[in-house]
Amino acid sequence: MEEGCLAGSEGSWVLEDWWLEQRDEIAVASKGREGGGPPAGGTKLKPPQNVEVDIIDDTFTLRWARSKEPAGNVTVSADYLIPGIVDNWTKLPGCQHVTSATCDFSSLKMNVYEEIKLRIRAEEGNNTSPWHELDTFIPFQQARIGPPKVHLEAEDKAIAINISPPGAEDSVMWQQENPQYSVIIWRNMSGAQPWNETHHSRFPRIKIHKLMPETTYCVRVKARLLLHPNPAEFSPVHCVNTTVENELPAPENIQVILENDTYVLKWDYTHDNVTFEAQWLKSYLKRMPGSESEKWVQVQGCERAPVARCAPPPDMFRKRFYVRVRASRGNSSSPWSREEEFDTRRRVVIPPLVVALKPLSSHSLQVSVGFQDQTELQHYPLTYEVTFWENASNAERKTFVEQRADFTVLSLKPRTVYCADAQALLEDRPRSQRSNVACATTEAGGAPGAPLAAGVSAALTVLLVLCAALALGKLVHYVFFPAGKPPATIDEYFPEEPMKNLLLSTSVERTEECFIIENVDAVSAKEVNRLDEDHKTYTSQASQDSGNYSIEDESGESGGSQAGEELGQRGAGAGARSAVGFA
Amino acid sequence: MTNRCTLQLTVLLCLTGAALSVNYGKLRFKLRSSNSACQTLLWQLITSPQHCLDDRMDFQIPRQVEQPQQFQKEEAMVVMYEMLQQIHTIFRRSFSNAGWNETIVEKLLEELDDQMDCLETALEEIKQEGKFPWENRTALRLKTYYLGILQYLKAKFYGRCAWTVVQVEIFRNVSFLNGLIGALQD
Repeated sequence: MEEGCLAGSEGSWVLEDWWLEQRDEIAVASKGREGGGPPAGGTKLKPPQNVEVDIIDDTFTLRWARSKEPAGNVTVSADYLIPGIVDNWTKLPGCQHVTSATCDFSSLKMNVYEEIKLRIRAEEGNNTSPWHELDTFIPFQQARIGPPKVHLEAEDKAIAINISPPGAEDSVMWQQENPQYSVIIWRNMSGAQPWNETHHSRFPRIKIHKLMPETTYCVRVKARLLLHPNPAEFSPVHCVNTTVENELPAPENIQVILENDTYVLKWDYTHDNVTFEAQWLKSYLKRMPGSESEKWVQVQGCERAPVARCAPPPDMFRKRFYVRVRASRGNSSSPWSREEEFDTRRRVVIPPLVVALKPLSSHSLQVSVGFQDQTELQHYPLTYEVTFWENASNAERKTFVEQRADFTVLSLKPRTVYCADAQALLEDRPRSQRSNVACATTEAGGAPGAPLAAGVSAALTVLLVLCAALALGKLVHYVFFPAGKPPATIDEYFPEEPMKNLLLSTSVERTEECFIIENVDAVSAKEVNRLDEDHKTYTSQASQDSGNYSIEDESGESGGSQAGEELGQRGAGAGARSAVGFA
Repeated sequence: MTNRCTLQLTVLLCLTGAALSVNYGKLRFKLRSSNSACQTLLWQLITSPQHCLDDRMDFQIPRQVEQPQQFQKEEAMVVMYEMLQQIHTIFRRSFSNAGWNETIVEKLLEELDDQMDCLETALEEIKQEGKFPWENRTALRLKTYYLGILQYLKAKFYGRCAWTVVQVEIFRNVSFLNGLIGALQD
């Protein structure tokens, strides 16, 4: 309880506080004395200097610098305090009246995850130095990880390293931890090229392969905690000799493959006339302390396999597991192979894909790929291979490789049937089976006015923007740079809806004049191909729409269309005004 | 034009996703399905809790675990791993307990091992990214909490009711783990 440090009765707390204050005042007053306290008997004792706490596994040691004062009857004592649990300063066991420069307080039973505070002082008879308080610390965070215990077993080309966790059997410091280990191995061979490797293991058993027979190898091991940065010490060096090369080598390259919906174990082996034995171990057992060797189980169907493959029962593949294989001939056996881990949930067949096509336009189709049912694979980076073709004989098939489940195919022919199917791929998995074939027809090409409308709309928008800009420019010119008397009709540039008139008057007027001319031409135009005709018709209509009010004022002609007449009626006044504006 | 913007955004998101080394979506999925299996197995394991009401104990789980929304995703991963390894340690000791369904305990240990395996990989990745939350007081408080559970079991001589009380407590833990999984957002 770092917040509250009230200890025992309030009275004793107040006394101690007063004492500390008095001590500090005296220290300030008498400058010559370091951390001075009330002298007793005239001797000035200093508290121990350079005090540090050293914790390794469950051994707690307090160390300080040896006193420079002449050897006498100076001893050192320490107290501890655990906020919220032991709130009074209490004698630290193992650290009372110590004559050496260290004391061991490992016998103190405490929660190593709670804060603890220590203080220390020197004593000589009735004379005591002031207390020197150390900073609060949490033993677990302060502790160093001691060396683990190592046991080596050598084969011809491999060494098995069994590691016992650091600390004693009844260790408190690491009892709730699952340490990981780092192993440094090197070859102890004079004259040969130096060689060493570092291996990291999450489990207390590690086997190092691909070594040389009849060679001395040495290892050092240290533990580490995944979640905490405690420094660790290496074990002493352990050395072992690998044996003479075995008559039968260990099998290699164990794999799990899928053949016709059945999982099969296979491996590589160079020798003939042997039988094979496979064993498996559930992955979670690797974490369990104690001997792992009795936990390996024969793989059913792989007890005496005559070839380098066998088919285990399917329920073996439910979870993660390790497999090892060895070869036998007569009474002799090879060493066990490297232990390979498999997680067939990662290797399960990708479920069938479903493909759908949807027409987007006359030239494009959308392709959608997915699974019928929700699968964990949707979270994995799948790649889809989509084959796409026109539904005609001898049509060329194109393959798209996509990581998106939805994408668009462009540049297609209108009113044409296209089909697609797909396969999914994932790194270490077999491909999925081909999906269904989906077909769809692109939309009819040249939909009346559709692309045309888009083009003409864009052109009109650009023109309108230009006209507006020009009108605004003229307005600014008239307002800020009037050329003599402003035109009488200037007020008419600011009707109730100025923006609308700006758009429909000045520059637009010029354009509309062009449209008027075009309109005349369009009326007498001959038949052209359908697209062009539509374009002309649309343009004419537009010109009529936008320009009819202008037409009535200037020429008195009525609009050629109903729309034109309507607009003409509305815009008559404006048309007259705008005509004048351009004069 | 909208399609092009969407395409560019999708490409950008995909590239960003590829740059992030921990796939939190995949991690959440795997942890959730395994955690759900743990809940089912624990439920099967708890028998006749009504007979052990007198042995009930308030172990005082750290409050922070009950409010996982306060955690950054890296802290949530550390807290989760600490809980999983402690639960694993507790159930490892249960193998010799007579009358237990060892198959269920074995499956439970498998599920816990699976989750720890996923998290170990992710934790190593965030260490390499320099995002590991080394100063995590919640992990220390959790160690005290689980130490309390172990000391309770020892004091009760690993009796049947003591184990039932602990199983119920761990069942609650697994609910809190679900909340912590939710904190693993990209």
